[in-house]
Amino acid sequence: MSSDPLITRLKHLIVETLNLEDIPPDEIDETAPLIGSGLALDSIDALELVVKLEKEFGIKISSSEESKAALASVKALADFIRERSGGTLSSGV
Amino acid sequence: MLPERLYKPLRALGTLIAMTRMPAERRHSRDYLSLVLGRRPAWREVFRHFFAFEEMLMGRLRVADGRDYRTTYGPGTADFKAWLENGGRVLIGSFHVGASDLQGCQIGGYEHLAVRIVRQRVGNSHDTDKLAERFGGRLQFIWINEPREALHALKAAADSPAAIVMHCDRVEFSARTAAFEFLGARRLFPVTIYNLALIFHRPVILAVGMPSGPAAAVLHASPRFEPVEGEPRAAAMRRAHAHFQDFLRKLETLLRADPWQWFNFIPMNPAAEVEPAAGEKGGKPQ
Repeated sequence: MSSDPLITRLKHLIVETLNLEDIPPDEIDETAPLIGSGLALDSIDALELVVKLEKEFGIKISSSEESKAALASVKALADFIRERSGGTLSSGV
Repeated sequence: MLPERLYKPLRALGTLIAMTRMPAERRHSRDYLSLVLGRRPAWREVFRHFFAFEEMLMGRLRVADGRDYRTTYGPGTADFKAWLENGGRVLIGSFHVGASDLQGCQIGGYEHLAVRIVRQRVGNSHDTDKLAERFGGRLQFIWINEPREALHALKAAADSPAAIVMHCDRVEFSARTAAFEFLGARRLFPVTIYNLALIFHRPVILAVGMPSGPAAAVLHASPRFEPVEGEPRAAAMRRAHAHFQDFLRKLETLLRADPWQWFNFIPMNPAAEVEPAAGEKGGKPQ
């Protein structure tokens, strides 16, 4: 399990949002690609995740380049959210 | 300008020449007509299929140029008419059938409605440019040739009060598909519209227009499919699939009455081999 609470929260959020009932959140590799390989999410999953993340964290992901960067991995996603939320999520969540 | 009694034979000749140069499309036409007619089509029936398509394209150009077009409403279209009158953030599913594209032109005539139409950009898209220009910002096109960009354009459209119109019959650009009974087999159709409905909490209405004479069509539509807050995804997709299947039955009845109006000159939707359970992913991931 990651010691980063944001990464732990994101793993749970991904599983809940995308109904990945057969994947325990703790088993998601935080450095593995989310789209294509890794969790094998498709473009609709990516869209659903982006909509959920925007709502949950009050951020805006407004282009395909941004979503590609943000969804590169769970770790990349956590970094992206921290950057966009102005560091307010840097300690604890 | 030529009178129609002279222009129509010229268009028929042009269609004939085009048809002779399109062997793949002729083959797909024959395959489709064999299914819907229940027998091998005659050569003139394949021509009739091609000419019906030409008539639709001509109608689109004429409407884009501002010609009048009259739509009447078939039974069961109350939800569609309510949307036309009141607007709303709906998803409209359409098909490459009959005068369906012309319904988009009709919708553009309702000045209180904003519409985003999802389309694949092909060689004959210049009429869409004219339409977009004619209706200003109220009617815009989202081109799906680049799926990743298209999804962001869809998201932007979903954040707006505009209705989103998308085709639901070709699987080539669809992220999600499912199997449905259609023309004697279980065939794959795109169901992405329902995923979008659940993501953006928008209802879905399916609609097609069938020609009913010169410059006239009858609109046929489904009732609204409504996403329900908190409903488990699998249950929602089961409802969605039943909604789509009901409309496909209606569409098949319409096509059996007027077989020439199916404008997919591509291989028929593939038969399903293994169908994913409702709520699971189907088709090719993108």
